[in-house]
Amino acid sequence: MVNLNAVLLISFLLFSIGIAGVLIRRNALVILMCVELMLNAANLNFIAFARHSGSVSGQAFALLIMGFAAAEVAVGLALVVALYRKRDTVQVDDINLLKG
Amino acid sequence: MEHLLETIGRNMFAIFGVMALCGATFMVAAKSAVHSVLGFLFTMLCVSGCFLALDAEFLGMAQILVYAGGIVVLFLFVVMLVELSKFKEKGVFQLQSRYAVVTVLVGAAAFVAAFRNMIFGASSPEALVLRPELAKGLDVAQQNAQAVSRGLFSDYLLPFEILSVILLVALVGAVVLAKTERV
Amino acid sequence: MEHAMTAASHPASYLWLIPFLPLFGFLINGLSGKRLKNNAVVDTIALGSVGVGFLLTVYYFIQLIGLPAEGRSLHQDLWTWFDVGGARVLGGLSTYKIQWAYKFDVLSACMALLVTGAGFLIHLFSTGYMAEERNDGRYYRFMAYLNLFVFSMLNLVLGANIMMMFLGWEGVGLCSYLLIGFYFDKESAAIAGKKAFVTNRIGDFGFMIGFFLIFQVFGSLDYNTLMGSVREVVNLPLITLYGHTASPTWWFNLIGCCLFVGAMGKSAQIPLYVWLPDAMAGPTPVSALIHAATMVTSGLYMITRLNFIYVSAPVALAVVLAFGSLTAFVAATMGLAQYDIKKVLAYSTVSQLGFMFMGMGAGAFTAGMFHVFTHAFFKASLFLGSGAVIAACHHEQDMRNMGGLKKVMPITAMSMILATFAIAGIFPFSGFFSKDEILWKVFEGWYAHGHYTGPVLNLVAWILGMLGAFCTAFYMTRLIAMTFYGEYRGGGNDPHGLTVQSEAHGHDDHGHDAHGHAAPGHHVPVHHENHVHELDKPHNHRTDDPEDHDIVPGHVPHEVSWRMWLPVAILAGLAVVGGFLNYPESLHRILPLAPSELFTKWLEPLLYQVAPAHHGEHVPPAMEYGLMAWATFIWAPGAMLLAWWMYKIDPSWSRPKAFVAKFPNLYRWVNAKYYVDEFYEAAIIEPLKRFSAQLWSFDTWVVDGVVNGVARVTLIWASLMNWADEYLVDGTIDLIEYIVQETSQVFRGLQSGRVQNYAFVMFIGFLVFAFWKFLA
Repeated sequence: MVNLNAVLLISFLLFSIGIAGVLIRRNALVILMCVELMLNAANLNFIAFARHSGSVSGQAFALLIMGFAAAEVAVGLALVVALYRKRDTVQVDDINLLKG
Repeated sequence: MEHLLETIGRNMFAIFGVMALCGATFMVAAKSAVHSVLGFLFTMLCVSGCFLALDAEFLGMAQILVYAGGIVVLFLFVVMLVELSKFKEKGVFQLQSRYAVVTVLVGAAAFVAAFRNMIFGASSPEALVLRPELAKGLDVAQQNAQAVSRGLFSDYLLPFEILSVILLVALVGAVVLAKTERV
Repeated sequence: MEHAMTAASHPASYLWLIPFLPLFGFLINGLSGKRLKNNAVVDTIALGSVGVGFLLTVYYFIQLIGLPAEGRSLHQDLWTWFDVGGARVLGGLSTYKIQWAYKFDVLSACMALLVTGAGFLIHLFSTGYMAEERNDGRYYRFMAYLNLFVFSMLNLVLGANIMMMFLGWEGVGLCSYLLIGFYFDKESAAIAGKKAFVTNRIGDFGFMIGFFLIFQVFGSLDYNTLMGSVREVVNLPLITLYGHTASPTWWFNLIGCCLFVGAMGKSAQIPLYVWLPDAMAGPTPVSALIHAATMVTSGLYMITRLNFIYVSAPVALAVVLAFGSLTAFVAATMGLAQYDIKKVLAYSTVSQLGFMFMGMGAGAFTAGMFHVFTHAFFKASLFLGSGAVIAACHHEQDMRNMGGLKKVMPITAMSMILATFAIAGIFPFSGFFSKDEILWKVFEGWYAHGHYTGPVLNLVAWILGMLGAFCTAFYMTRLIAMTFYGEYRGGGNDPHGLTVQSEAHGHDDHGHDAHGHAAPGHHVPVHHENHVHELDKPHNHRTDDPEDHDIVPGHVPHEVSWRMWLPVAILAGLAVVGGFLNYPESLHRILPLAPSELFTKWLEPLLYQVAPAHHGEHVPPAMEYGLMAWATFIWAPGAMLLAWWMYKIDPSWSRPKAFVAKFPNLYRWVNAKYYVDEFYEAAIIEPLKRFSAQLWSFDTWVVDGVVNGVARVTLIWASLMNWADEYLVDGTIDLIEYIVQETSQVFRGLQSGRVQNYAFVMFIGFLVFAFWKFLA
């Protein structure tokens, strides 16, 4: 027996760690991983509710999200590589062109 | 022993979940990017275990394949590609880290506090308990992959096709972004 | 009334090339000429496009000869130019579509031959004449304009409807303007160009009204359609347009008069002729091509083309006759006392055009048209000859400073003398046949087969025409005598004190024509100091040839290059023999030198005959022979001998001087061209200016007064507002600004440019929203 609340709590904590990572790390690579982590947390929710409601829709959605995550990683890593080529850095705080 | 195994089996989700949290924390906290990647790999594997515990075998396998097999390797490649050592002296964390961590913790605490009755309360409603009988009705043990694929290719065919296009676009975009510019 | 053009027209696939080749030439030369820097290429393109056009025209002309007389028409429809849609016209609703179409029939074939043939020769002449411009980068522009002119003129004559004609009509006007003002850095040329353009606008207004009315009556502008339906329209009992009901003849008279106003402008008739003499400010080839041979004849072409209107419009024809004869006489007298060689020819052109209109007015369209062609030959020859003379004398145009040029430039002199015989109307030169035909047709109108019952107008017109012919013979001989005979008076050689200090001794200058040149003997030098400078600067005289400079004394004239004398000679040759193309029937009976009336028969299918052909069965009256002999053996030679006696026999010109001394006022009036320009200035331009000035003062005092009053009130109100603005509004704004500035100092730190800062803030915001309910 698994309590749904426990699943939600775990996924919430995973998500929080992901957010914290995004906010505190300098390295763009790690930030990308944290984003992946947040997506995984969302996936966990989907699967938990799929199990709860006895439907496979949630699982199907989780699979789609995984696909999106893969696409995102591909583009994100390409951006990191391009960034490294252009600016010779992968540290996010070095990129402050938005500064007024 | 048997009791122990049974206890572990019953609480598999909790075990994998806690391990995932530990892995995630390590990933965020590790100073070296390679360590972070390893933490990420560990977290992904644990999450896949969670999936298995929630009777989603196909998703669990897919999680291992996609993340452990694909994405983590990709990350490792980029980590090798990028000379990370020269960024060390500036520190791993942002200047705002302290506030960010505090804020996240406060947020999490507030969240938990807000929903504490639902999560911990004795009166937590029955509906929130995962219902194995429904899961059994899906024949998840034998035919999870079959069920998922049926849903995917019937009800969610259009999103699936769109996803394939998005993957293609991402592929092309990644190539365009990452290729060496020729002048 | 008979509908002559019945047979179907034949398609011709390369007809469009005739007008479009010069257009291509214009585009190539005009757009890339500046970069070509190679005058040989410019020459090849300009001459080639016109030359090939000429060959094509000849080809189609030969094809036309092979067709039966009634079906001599080729056509090519290119595209629909514009669609009128549904226009309410007399016969109901017209859905006429104006085609971009060409029509090559008996009339347009001749005109196209003239335009391309004479055009080619004049292009050739230009390559020699514009020698100075060849070096200063303006040459390509000149050739491009000439090509554009040829294109427009060909559109005018080959177009298959009145809109196409109008397009060409305006196009030649534009080119005329551009070419008169070719030396636009010279003020007189620029003014002359403007004058030509504005004067032509007045005429064009009439022309437009005319063809608008045609469209209203016929519902079409297509020549074939018009000719097909004209009989029907004429037979209508009454026509009501714009609430006015009148007979078809009345409307045709109106249309004819309106169209004639257009012809007046383009073909330089009284009262709109004033632009043509001033147009001599353009380069001489332009004068020859546009202002003598082709463009000025477009009015004649238009009347001949629309003869089906005019034959049913007796009043319009009478108007044409009256104005034509008046112009023929008045302009001829103006030519008597001019000293500028090109001016003489300009007035001569106006006068000859008057003769042509006389012929049209008498209903003899072929005679008028024939004079167009003979005139084109001899006048182009004369103009080009004068251009050669001007070039030979280093851009001297005053005949008093010429003389004796026959010895140095025999070919040019011979050609011009032959052309002079032609224009004077000496048998058997071409001018005799055409001019005599016109005068006889005019006279015949009054003579009426011996009954002398015709309109008196014809008699008056004939008398004016005879006087005009006398003057023509006189001034042309005078021109020849002054230019080619006697002794050369240029370069400081002046035994009789005849020369004048040439004013503005440069290209084709006519800066002070309004004053005219003073009489020999008691002239007032009208030289302006600044004029020489003004000319020297832009014209960039070649420094390697000191003889070419106008200040250098003792310069001698020289024969011009073959490129210049060859066209003169060819045109003079045509002027000699051209008359036999329309050898009169009456002469043919007693002296069969050539087939009779080729040209008349050629044009016959185009013309509507009011009465049975008037040159037919009846025996030519003795009167005709008598007048013919009188004109060619006594009248014209008399005038020529008189001029010879006055200007050649006595090289000091004591006889004309005596004449001037005796009638000083007469001389002054003629020399000043009857003060027509001054009259226009005083009667039209000045009142207009004064009226504008009054409007302006009304504007200043009344309109501006109101405006100023309003402005003052506004000003006071505005100063009040200003105060309020400064202290109340600005104060508030300044305060707000201050607050914002101070506050922003605090928040400026937030904008770090780091994405993660922003993400953090966003996250806080997200939390706030997520727990809004619980935190509240």
